Amino acid sequence: MSLRSRELGFLVPALLLGMLGLAAGASARADELQAGPWQTALGVAMVFVVMHAVLRLRAPLSDPYLVPILAALTGIGLAMLYRIDPGLAGDQAIWVTLGGIAFCAVIVFMPDHRVLERYRYVIGLTAVLLLVATMVFGTEVNGSRLWISIGGGQRVQLGELAKVLMVIFLAGYLREKREVLAIPTQRRFGLNLPALRHLAPILVFWGAALAAVVVLNDFGTALLFFGVFLAMLYLATGRALYVGLGIGLFVAGSLFIWATVPRIGVRVDSWLHPFDDVQGTGYQMVQSLYALADGGVVGPGFGRALLVTEGGNPRIPALETDFIFSAVSNDLGYVGAIGVMLLYVLLMARGFAIATAARDGFSKLLAGGLTAVVGLQAFIIIGGVVRLVPLTGVTLPFMSYGGSSVVVNFGIAALLLVISNRSRQGLVEAVRGAPAT
Amino acid sequence: MNRSIRALYLTLAVGFAVLVVMLGYWQVVAAGELDERADNPYRLEQQRLVDRGRIISADKIILAESVMYREKGKKYYRRYYPQGSLAAQVVGYATPQQGATGLEQQYNRYLAGSYGTGAILDRLRQETKDGADIRLTLDTRVQKTAEALLSGRRGAVVAIEPKTGKVLALASSPAFDLNEVSSDFASIRKQDGAPLLNRSTGGLYPPGSTFKVVTATAALDNGKWSASSTFDDKGVYVVDGKPIYNSGKAKYGLHNLTDALTFSINTTFAQIGDQLGGRKLGREMNRFGFARPTEIDLPSGEVAVSGRYRAGKILPNDQRDEDSARIAIGQENLQVTPLQMAMVAGAVANGGRMMRPYLMRRAITRDGVVVKQQRPEEIDSVASAYVASEVGRMMQSVVSEGTGTEAGLSGLSVAGKTGTAETGDPERNQAWFIGYAPAEDPQVAVAVVIEDTSGTGGTEAAPVAGEVMRTALSIDPVPGEPTT
Repeated sequence: MSLRSRELGFLVPALLLGMLGLAAGASARADELQAGPWQTALGVAMVFVVMHAVLRLRAPLSDPYLVPILAALTGIGLAMLYRIDPGLAGDQAIWVTLGGIAFCAVIVFMPDHRVLERYRYVIGLTAVLLLVATMVFGTEVNGSRLWISIGGGQRVQLGELAKVLMVIFLAGYLREKREVLAIPTQRRFGLNLPALRHLAPILVFWGAALAAVVVLNDFGTALLFFGVFLAMLYLATGRALYVGLGIGLFVAGSLFIWATVPRIGVRVDSWLHPFDDVQGTGYQMVQSLYALADGGVVGPGFGRALLVTEGGNPRIPALETDFIFSAVSNDLGYVGAIGVMLLYVLLMARGFAIATAARDGFSKLLAGGLTAVVGLQAFIIIGGVVRLVPLTGVTLPFMSYGGSSVVVNFGIAALLLVISNRSRQGLVEAVRGAPAT
Repeated sequence: MNRSIRALYLTLAVGFAVLVVMLGYWQVVAAGELDERADNPYRLEQQRLVDRGRIISADKIILAESVMYREKGKKYYRRYYPQGSLAAQVVGYATPQQGATGLEQQYNRYLAGSYGTGAILDRLRQETKDGADIRLTLDTRVQKTAEALLSGRRGAVVAIEPKTGKVLALASSPAFDLNEVSSDFASIRKQDGAPLLNRSTGGLYPPGSTFKVVTATAALDNGKWSASSTFDDKGVYVVDGKPIYNSGKAKYGLHNLTDALTFSINTTFAQIGDQLGGRKLGREMNRFGFARPTEIDLPSGEVAVSGRYRAGKILPNDQRDEDSARIAIGQENLQVTPLQMAMVAGAVANGGRMMRPYLMRRAITRDGVVVKQQRPEEIDSVASAYVASEVGRMMQSVVSEGTGTEAGLSGLSVAGKTGTAETGDPERNQAWFIGYAPAEDPQVAVAVVIEDTSGTGGTEAAPVAGEVMRTALSIDPVPGEPTT
């Protein structure tokens, strides 16, 4: 069976899962059996079918499992949004369509991702400019400054795009510097370190990430950027020392900020002791924990938990974005939530497999970095929901409500598939080009 | 670089494993604790989704049921009490705001459908929980008679079946309308006479002369006295330099033990108590169940412990240094519940065997599956059959020719004992009657207490007891389906 037929074979059940979820949510809402918003469901299914068709034509050798995983996550996300508020699912379907267009555009117009390496400094500079723009012109939503208004009541999260651009830049930069970073040339503080001029970018990044915590007032974004940076540094150099050093510096800096910036102190306190102020700072966290407890082992099913009041208001603030995972855990229970987490682990498995199969350093770093960014982002927000790390405002990739996040994550998936297609194509050509024996 | 990629993947995968463990903590381990928290809105919401079972009396009258209503297309249930205030404190209420009391609390497991393994299976099958019905021993015909006789007064009536322990009536006055709990709880609480208190099981009263039944049993058990033992009353008996008089300072002269109970002669029972001593009298009290929680199927917070109290604390029954003369006539800080005294009468009626009182006969699903059944159960043997029958004979004499004639029923032999406990005000008494009927084959045992009355046990409580027993003896089983 060809790779693409295999993809289709997995895509169909993945799409059916989302459609069933939507129908189940609609049935729970109406208390009778209903098909649900089938136009929306069909529309989204069509987007995935078109994506599949484009892959068939333009990247036939790319990984066949990524798109079905995407479809499953997107479908469950849509079903959750629909059960929270049907209007949100309608919007999200439009974002998914835009994401599909972005996906196809990447596949069609960028058959070889290695052109990106040539423009790495331009791309890196753009990432920085986008972040600075957010800091300067940003609108504050829920206390975090992550959005820029673009008129018409619409906002975009430039940080989402900056995230990908940064990974591209780092892939190029670290490919270039990996040798000098990997080989220590001096010994300071009992550690073997490379020359300071090579180490400087790490320190700059550390400072920038901490500055982002204060200025953007968003711990999650800072953690994500810094975490991805450390992950890629490790991929490039293979030295765990950098990771340890980086985490140490980040934790030390975070503790300092926690102790000195009162606003952030409150956030940390509501993380450590949410039940001290159930009606105030701990409200969101506590309501989410009640939702998890209510879900139990199996959960009542799509749309059947009491996540939304009779007036149509979610019981947990930011349920459709930061707390979408609480909705999953409540409706589908522990079993369903584990299923969703397994989808993310599968996604990472495929992403890292693509990185392993890639045939050059830049491709490996790019694929590894893109995979790490998605996996880490899912980890940070789910970790916030289960109170493993402080709660942050990053989205759950492919599931949270929000256009910027959906479009950018579809773009990431497209890039991974281009890399995958490219490395297998190279393999095929190498085999064909080999002299016959 | 592939080695690093694998290491990074493993690190992230381990991270997700930690997330799975943490999530399991919240969804499985800590879930029960979180569900029980008072500020958890899910708990309140969930209650409205459960079709609670009905509470149905022995004569098939529905005392509590759930009524379905729709709000924005969703099905909800609210509790409705068709009989309003009938047996209000026993039935209890179940609201998200005020919590649950009475049988609504005691049998919540069955009423809310969360018993057995069915609850988990229902959840797996996504079925809505249907609660099981609770079928009671309580009969509304007896209950209504008791409540009507108490109306306008403060007091309690308990009626039990002595041979089985089935509770036929538990009346407490004043009462309240159960349907007003969800709308008007504050004003119910403010009402005079503490209507929320279940006086029949939770009200503590000095037993007065009704306690002489316990003393008489102890006397006969001891073997030193019999029903025909003779005493000479001089009108006063002195213990510790303080005199004990008869009611109205009466002087009875030569009499036997039967006469002493019939006319409630204090001096004679004080003398018996004195000679028995604290240990022996205390042991009899132990057998009758004093100083330990009464086993009835109501929330433990609503059932008071009968016995001797000091500074709000219950004392052991058999201390040697006690004034057993005054305990013998129901004084010395004795505080008892009407239920306890009904059980005393019931034990005598049942040949000395005390049965555990119970309100629920069975819990039964809508499909007729019995999920819980209660059967008669003996708690203790308080006296030999011979002693019990002798005490019973003396109690018959109380009703036929003594202080309890008002409890008499034409054509039937009734056994009983009156009591008139003094309050701080010499004009106000607490009137008691305990007894059973028919004496030859007891079908019902009662305890009646009327608070704050100018009358005596004989004039106030005995007629109420007679009327309640008459009703209890006249009831027939009711066929057919439960109705309101």
